[in-house]
Amino acid sequence: MSSATSTDQGLRPWQLFLLAGMLAATGVVLVSKGQPLSSVVVLSLTVVASSLVAVAGYRSLAPLFAVVDPDDEQPVTGRARAALEREKALVLRTIKEVEFDHAMGKTASADFEEMRDRLKVRAIGLMRQLETSDYRAAVEHDLAMRTGQTAPAPAVVAPAAEAAADRASVAVAASDASTASAVAARAVEPPVAAPRAGSRVVQLCGTCEGVNDVDARFCKHCGAALSEAGR
Amino acid sequence: MATLGATLLLLAFVISAYAAAASVVGARRRNTRLIDSGVGALYLVGAVMTVATGVIVHAFVVGDFTIKYVQRYSELSQPLFYKLASYWGGLDGSIMFWVFLLSLFGAAAVYINREKHRELIPYVVATLSVVQMFFLFVMIGHNNPFATYMTQAPPAGEGLNPLLQNFYMAIHPPTMYLGFVGLTVPYAFGMAALITGHLDDSWLRAVRRWTMIAWFFLSFGLTLGMIWAYEELGWGGFWGWDPVENAGLLPWFTATAFLHSVMVQERRGMLRVWNVTLVIVTFFLTLFGTFMTRSGVVQSVHAFGEDKQLALMFTSFMSAILIFSFGWLIYRLPLLKARNEFDSWASKEAAFLANNWVLLFSAIFVLFATMFPTLSEAVAGERLTVGPPFFNQWMTPVGLILLLLTGIGPLLAWRSSTLANMRQQFTWPVVAALTAGAISYGVGIRVWTSGLCFTLCGFVAGTIAQEFVRGAAVRKDSTGTDLFTAMIGLVARNKRRYGGYIVHAGIVLMFLGFAGEGFGRDEQALLKPGQTVQVDRYVLRLDSIRATDDDQKQMVTAHITVTDDTGKALGSMAPAKWFYRSRPDQPTTEVAIRRSLAEDLYIAMAGFELGEQTTSVEVHVNELVNWIWIGFGLLAVGTGIALLPERVFAFATARVGAEAAAALMLVLSLMLPAPAGAATHTDAQEPNASTAPPVGDDGLVYRSPLERELANEVMCTCGCRLPAGQCGMMNCHGKEEQLAKIHDLVGKGMDKDAVLATFVRDAGGQFILSRPIDQGYHRLLWLAPYAAALFSALGLAFLARKWSRSGADDSTPAAATAGGDALSQQLDDELRDLD
Repeated sequence: MSSATSTDQGLRPWQLFLLAGMLAATGVVLVSKGQPLSSVVVLSLTVVASSLVAVAGYRSLAPLFAVVDPDDEQPVTGRARAALEREKALVLRTIKEVEFDHAMGKTASADFEEMRDRLKVRAIGLMRQLETSDYRAAVEHDLAMRTGQTAPAPAVVAPAAEAAADRASVAVAASDASTASAVAARAVEPPVAAPRAGSRVVQLCGTCEGVNDVDARFCKHCGAALSEAGR
Repeated sequence: MATLGATLLLLAFVISAYAAAASVVGARRRNTRLIDSGVGALYLVGAVMTVATGVIVHAFVVGDFTIKYVQRYSELSQPLFYKLASYWGGLDGSIMFWVFLLSLFGAAAVYINREKHRELIPYVVATLSVVQMFFLFVMIGHNNPFATYMTQAPPAGEGLNPLLQNFYMAIHPPTMYLGFVGLTVPYAFGMAALITGHLDDSWLRAVRRWTMIAWFFLSFGLTLGMIWAYEELGWGGFWGWDPVENAGLLPWFTATAFLHSVMVQERRGMLRVWNVTLVIVTFFLTLFGTFMTRSGVVQSVHAFGEDKQLALMFTSFMSAILIFSFGWLIYRLPLLKARNEFDSWASKEAAFLANNWVLLFSAIFVLFATMFPTLSEAVAGERLTVGPPFFNQWMTPVGLILLLLTGIGPLLAWRSSTLANMRQQFTWPVVAALTAGAISYGVGIRVWTSGLCFTLCGFVAGTIAQEFVRGAAVRKDSTGTDLFTAMIGLVARNKRRYGGYIVHAGIVLMFLGFAGEGFGRDEQALLKPGQTVQVDRYVLRLDSIRATDDDQKQMVTAHITVTDDTGKALGSMAPAKWFYRSRPDQPTTEVAIRRSLAEDLYIAMAGFELGEQTTSVEVHVNELVNWIWIGFGLLAVGTGIALLPERVFAFATARVGAEAAAALMLVLSLMLPAPAGAATHTDAQEPNASTAPPVGDDGLVYRSPLERELANEVMCTCGCRLPAGQCGMMNCHGKEEQLAKIHDLVGKGMDKDAVLATFVRDAGGQFILSRPIDQGYHRLLWLAPYAAALFSALGLAFLARKWSRSGADDSTPAAATAGGDALSQQLDDELRDLD
């Protein structure tokens, strides 16, 4: 967040409201002399809770008047990659569990090998999809842009892989990770024959060469409109 | 203050409406400002409800009797703790407390998930807000806890119901409500996933923990309810299958099913539609439970009374929820297509399917049996009672099947297990089961349900022990650490799995307590000072009956000295009756309990004559009952471990120092094997003579076996809604009348059927029986469970068959990518690093 980079922290609204609430609660304690202790405690806590109303009220109203900082926008469309990563992590854990079960003598060797091989094939397929998305190069490029160094631009997108990734992205936008991976896996095959073909999970800005999500309309680094071709 | 409180409720309603609207509009227009504002509004509702809670609690503390609700449920002399508990002691306050908890729980859930599940959050906020709006609407329009007296307010309060002035009952509602409102969070995420179409497994990850937390609170609440019933109602038992108890149990069944079936989706991608359905049904059952408790639609000792308008509101809302939820589910069915591959019935997924089948059957059965009297009255105009004997008859085998599945599930592997694997896996658990069965037979237990339960407990305990030992051995070999470190690492790396096993161990202990109920002993005795009576191995001598009082109540206490049959003094016990001045017609039973791991000696005062210094006492020897509470403690530990974040115990993945490992293992060993060892010890130490016939003796009220059986079949008429033999109400004339009548009829030589027919004829209906006679249209009640079990089993078999076929069609391109390239090497590296 950009605000996090500011060195002038000052008194934040929630701190201000809470402080005011605590001061008011102290006032209540002073005014309530002679009242039963339980009554004073409950009253003080209620007054402090009132400051939470102010904090939450501010939290509710502030976004309506705030200027949206593009850097604060969390990309929702990184879902394609996130879904693949989740799918991969799930498959790896399943492999470990299958191995563990076999070591405990729960599965026959033939069944175990068949299951493990199938899972490994699936994991490799997912890893290949993640590799071909050229994400790593894009991240390195983005990092270089931010630090002011030069870096090679990400690999060019191969048309066939782009179409496949687009289909995968559509499926993921429908939010079914397994369907997405299945679609992409089918479309990208034969993957062995496509070494490091890039797929469009990200796009570059024509003005500043910053990395943006595939469906972004404006660059989050320089604010320039992203062309249809770029997308 | 009342005006302020009412205004705050109105404000909360308006803000909830804004939160729902802003979130939906923001999501539709992709407007992050509106979405953020909606999230803030949800937090704001939580803050406003906190202040409103402060206002009403203050009114209780200072005794502001201008507020009707405060006047009805509180009084000045009430201890502070119960003044606070009065907040949720009545209908209006309980709804407000519900909204308060939901607003905090919902705000916490949204705050924690706001970044991880951004796409779902707007609809989560909207769903939570709509549920809040409903309850706020009920309060504002119908049950306003801040309503004041129009004219002169009474100078004193009526006080909280004395039955509720019990520590466990005071904290029971908050825990139950936490369970109920907690289950709203998974529903909100489930609906958000359906509406947005983001139906991958990520929403499950968001709700799994929240479901587990809610499930824990629900279990806690149910256990507290059991402890309260055990200590306060005075009938010697802990679960009476009362509609309100059942209301809490229904969502517990489906939430338990969800916690298991969610694993099948995570591991195998199956049961996607089923999991969403379970989330919806669970939430619906929480509403239905609330509806049953508060609308008066069923008769219960705990219900808040009849309220047709409230019943209409709830019915409308529940109908809307069902239509909306299942409408979206049907609309999204194409996105919920699963990779269903069912390889074998001897697999973990088959065990989970069976587990879900049994749990859902339990929910349907309990729901149907609970509602049957209401349906019977509405359809046939006949009042009936479906009491504990009917539930026990059906739920005992169901519980035993569930216990068996608890032991079988962990022994099976995903996909399929061969005969050789199963032999290897099942050998030691079966040996443990046979040993437990033999021990229980050897110590004289001849009640088949209890004996079978002990056998199955041995089986499950064997399974759990084997899982820990073999798992630690495997980890020891693979990591090269010592066994202690391996054991800690095992739990640390598989917190959900091994936490779950510890939960299973807790369930085993609870079943030990349930089994003990089968061979307990109970007697009724009429005592004068100096007179002794022997029940089982305990000799009771009444010393005196004394009346005392304090600010709130009068107390009549029987002082009884207890020795064992060898004459060794075991201490004194003091069962009592308390008469609260504000409610003299509702005396409470204060039971005296002498606890031990093997059994409880439980004495309740049924009646007394101060002038003659005589007292009638109910004496129960409850075997193993304390293992239920200990079992819950273990369940809580297991749930806590399963809920721990991933990074906790990360140190255990490396080799830990032997001293640290030993210290930790010491803690674990203190927690785990000790109760099991103690159980064996006490079992062996305390052989039971449960099947011995009742002995007629001085002071003991003699009852033949047939009379005892009939006392469980005929209802008490005092309004306690328990069989006559179980009623523990003070000055209950109904119980004595019914028992005397049973005694007379049996004395005339009547058999069981003739006695029951006499009761039905005299009462003018079968409502006098604790379960309807299996005749005529009542057979529907008896046939329904069979039909439900049969149809659901057929459905299960059909699904499994369908999945088997679709699985066979699914070919995997194994050869296409199995080349030993760099990725394969990278995969092996990542798998190594994963450990």
